Amino acid sequence: MKDRDGLREIERRVWLRTFEHGLWDLAVGLLLLSFGVGILTEFYWISAIVVPVGLPAMRGLARRAIVPRIGHATFRGRRKRSLVHVQLILAVLALAGGGMFAFTAFATREAAPEWATWVRSHFIVVIGLIWGGALAVAGWAVDYPRLYAYGGLLFGALLAVDLIPTGYHLGHALIGVGGLIALVGAALFARFLRRYPRHPEPVDGADDG
Amino acid sequence: MAKRQEEGAGSEIDRVIHEPARLLITAHLYVVESADYVFLMGNTGLTWGNLSSHLSRLEAAGYVEITKEFIERKPHTMVKLTDEGRAAFDAYRRQMKALFEDLPG
Repeated sequence: MKDRDGLREIERRVWLRTFEHGLWDLAVGLLLLSFGVGILTEFYWISAIVVPVGLPAMRGLARRAIVPRIGHATFRGRRKRSLVHVQLILAVLALAGGGMFAFTAFATREAAPEWATWVRSHFIVVIGLIWGGALAVAGWAVDYPRLYAYGGLLFGALLAVDLIPTGYHLGHALIGVGGLIALVGAALFARFLRRYPRHPEPVDGADDG
Repeated sequence: MAKRQEEGAGSEIDRVIHEPARLLITAHLYVVESADYVFLMGNTGLTWGNLSSHLSRLEAAGYVEITKEFIERKPHTMVKLTDEGRAAFDAYRRQMKALFEDLPG
């Protein structure tokens, strides 16, 4: 232990190590990707399928590929709470994906209130603010700076789609950003697998010295 | 309890925690709720055998609780700092801080 390694640094290093594998990045990327695919294929409730199927799959992958390599730890206090918070944020993000399309249907009615029409005309920017903000809040909650960048990237991409007439729309932007984040996650995961060999516990607790 | 203590300058240093490898293990267990062997090996850089023997010492002192289980027919050992271990580590931190603060400039 280096002299400068205070308990706070140890705690943060240990905490951040549990994010090094890239599965969180992969999950966020695939979620956004599924929104984008849902929009382009008009299968809007895809996120309601992706989350219940994807989360257990990610947990299974973590149990099989991550725990034998870097082990498992449970955290205390605010770290423990923040993990619950970020899962809630991701679940809300997924529900908001479906909810926004329901809102669009509501806002396109003739009798829709003025504010709903205003939100509808700036739909993509509002989505960017909500999802980008949610990612940034999640980044703050779990002390994971990469999520700030993802939030900024998502907001920037949706703002660009709204402001610049390129012919691309929300679905394309979500596929682009989600795909990019998923690629980063996959690259981190591949690096993680190369960097950390498996350390299975010896059955008899054999002593190596 | 295999705790030995060192008298001197009004301080009682807990030798069970004071040993460098055990200090490293205890510090890592202090910042988490519980951790498994693989996690501790990766974060402390200790070998399986070293970790095992130091944890046995800490367990004998009542500072850690070791739980062995099988997950999908594979052994899995979780380690947790007991309340006594947490209190001992807090006391050790206070003692060491006081000791170094007492040193003349």
